[in-house]
Amino acid sequence: MGKIKVATQWLEACAGCHMSFLDIDERIVEFFKHVELTSSPITDLKHPPEEGVDVGILTGGIGNEDELHEAQEMRERAKLLIAMGDCAVFGGICTMRNFFPTAEVLRRGYIETESTVDGQIPQHEDLAPLTDKVSGVGDVVPVDIYLPGCPPTADAIWYVLTELLEGRMPKLEGKVLKYGMDGG
Amino acid sequence: MSEIHLKINGQEVTAQSGQTVLEAAKGAGVEIPVLCHHPALSNWGACRMCVVEVEGMRTLQTACTLPAADGMVIKTHTEQTFNIRKFVLELLFSERNHYCMYCQMSGDCELQAQAYNHGLDHWTYPRPYEKQEVDATRKYFIMDHNRCILCTRCVRACTEIAANHTLGLRNRGAETMISADLNVPFGESSCVECGTCLQVCPTGALIDARSAYGGREKDVTHTQTTCMQCSVGCDLDVVTRYKRLLRVDGVWDSEPSGGLLCVDGRFAPLYETRKRVVKPLVRKDGKLTEASWEEALGLVANALKGDTCQGLAACATTNEALAAFAGLMTQLGGQAGRLEPVAPTLGYGVPAKVTDVLAADFIIVAGAQPLDYQRVVGYFIHRAADQGATVAVISDSENALSKRAALTVASAQAGIVAKAAADARKIVLVYSVGLKPEVIAALKPLGDKVSFLALDPARNGKGAEAVGLKPQSPVKTDVAYILLGEQPVADALHVPAGFKVVQAAYHSTLTEQADVVLPTPLWYERTGHVTTLDGVIKPLQVLLPAPADVRDESVVLEQLAALLR
Repeated sequence: MGKIKVATQWLEACAGCHMSFLDIDERIVEFFKHVELTSSPITDLKHPPEEGVDVGILTGGIGNEDELHEAQEMRERAKLLIAMGDCAVFGGICTMRNFFPTAEVLRRGYIETESTVDGQIPQHEDLAPLTDKVSGVGDVVPVDIYLPGCPPTADAIWYVLTELLEGRMPKLEGKVLKYGMDGG
Repeated sequence: MSEIHLKINGQEVTAQSGQTVLEAAKGAGVEIPVLCHHPALSNWGACRMCVVEVEGMRTLQTACTLPAADGMVIKTHTEQTFNIRKFVLELLFSERNHYCMYCQMSGDCELQAQAYNHGLDHWTYPRPYEKQEVDATRKYFIMDHNRCILCTRCVRACTEIAANHTLGLRNRGAETMISADLNVPFGESSCVECGTCLQVCPTGALIDARSAYGGREKDVTHTQTTCMQCSVGCDLDVVTRYKRLLRVDGVWDSEPSGGLLCVDGRFAPLYETRKRVVKPLVRKDGKLTEASWEEALGLVANALKGDTCQGLAACATTNEALAAFAGLMTQLGGQAGRLEPVAPTLGYGVPAKVTDVLAADFIIVAGAQPLDYQRVVGYFIHRAADQGATVAVISDSENALSKRAALTVASAQAGIVAKAAADARKIVLVYSVGLKPEVIAALKPLGDKVSFLALDPARNGKGAEAVGLKPQSPVKTDVAYILLGEQPVADALHVPAGFKVVQAAYHSTLTEQADVVLPTPLWYERTGHVTTLDGVIKPLQVLLPAPADVRDESVVLEQLAALLR
């Protein structure tokens, strides 16, 4: 049997979920006996292979057009999609801006902040425009497995991955179902 | 009450008539999930977490409000109840802004725990992202409406336990909000900051400013001790971590307060700003200078030898310390007394317990301000008034209890109160040092129908009484030995003695005049006992270590006694 192909990407997030993944420590050796990590912030490959992957993992919320596109691309190319971490599951800390109009958020961030002198709101065709509201991944594409936590513990991530390797759908309950930093 | 028999999850259960299904199930070891229910409060049935299937009933029933009845057949954990509970949780999470990642209650939150128990790994309903108010206008705790689930535990605590009626609900449906008075900021409301609402809040909506983010339940230590702030002597559940006093909670089912505390007991002591005395101080060249215990005690013993001495104690310390103090003064042949006045004796009536206030149908308040000090007694009077008791205030100045009193009269008109109370079933007279002789005389016709609660203005007045300490004014002696402990010193206190020894926890105008200052521990740094208003001897516990050079008064007094023997 060939290796199972996995792709990961972080969207609107702090990278903590990928750090927590690396916290599986030496178990990673066992992990890579069975898994080929294709695109990922860790491998620095940007797009999941066109021929598709078995498992796609998204961390972070959807806060701009590019993140929306990446989520859609991952969904199209992954047989099974995991939303990992509170941002991907609930929208997370980035949803703080949802309480203000987007224009006000940009003005505050780039012009009005106390440390800013002669600020301007960046505008360029390469910059993705912000979505009206930050949302979880599940709000824009269908998600198969939700793994909340800020971040999910290495044990919770390991549980989900090993269940999948065993051919079972992981059931989030008990110690592996935690919100925020409650797991750590 | 009679025994009833019902079936819960196939198990034969015996319960008492009058119990709810929730209580009957609990008695049989079946835990039904709850959110708005709290054992110290009345049942409300708002959250629908506790729904159960009852045979013969058309819909699911809330176990917290459904009276258990003979022959009932109940199922508490079925696929239907599980799904409904999960649905309720999804709705609660979708209503306001619940973000565990930056909430101080994460890990201890009842809403979060129920979500875990129901496998809620994501939310299916969109959230409104409507900003709710955060009210931080009170000193000790904050209300974040974003995290409120409208369980009304706080409203019921305010109404039923504190009997203060500050909190209520305004608007209807999705617009419903917890409101203080007629929708004013909490800090401008009639809130008395007893903190009962804070203690019962199941989520992070009510935030304790001091203990927030200070440690989760699994990280902290709980120790039960006795409140030393007044003579009521409420039980405290004190939360500590890393040698830090985090929070004080009330203890449900404890005498006399039943979990109710006041701002003086729950919050104020944690915000103490007075400067601590941490080493013995002796006056050298006119200045107070740090000294060893040996030197300080040597000086005190020397001064006490053969000279006239007056000992004055603030009754703000343990029975053991007061006994050691009285013992030393007897050994020296000096005079000894307490600094605080005492409430006068009536010459009639029978002594009441604090909880007797709750059972009274006529309460007379005279020469006392229990809403300002010994506040739990004041709140109990409010609670009795809510139950229909008549409250009469006899006062020649303004009294906060007048607001809820049926009548308020001046001392000269006390006879009116005696007449009004004549037919009452149970009269409780709450009084203190301000009780005037003409009031005692005017109420005398009520005789032994009166149960009286004499509020001692000192924290441990009963402990002082037990060792024979009576009020004394400072007189001119060679030496004055003042056992002050934690008590703040009255500005008017003038001690004319030639040599002054002050045993105190904090610097004050009195320690400034002292020739020797001996540091004492605080209420949470010591063992010993206090005697409450009800005459119950309650223990103190060491919650945090005292600074290295602080010694318990009783130890110091015994060392002095040995030096002088």
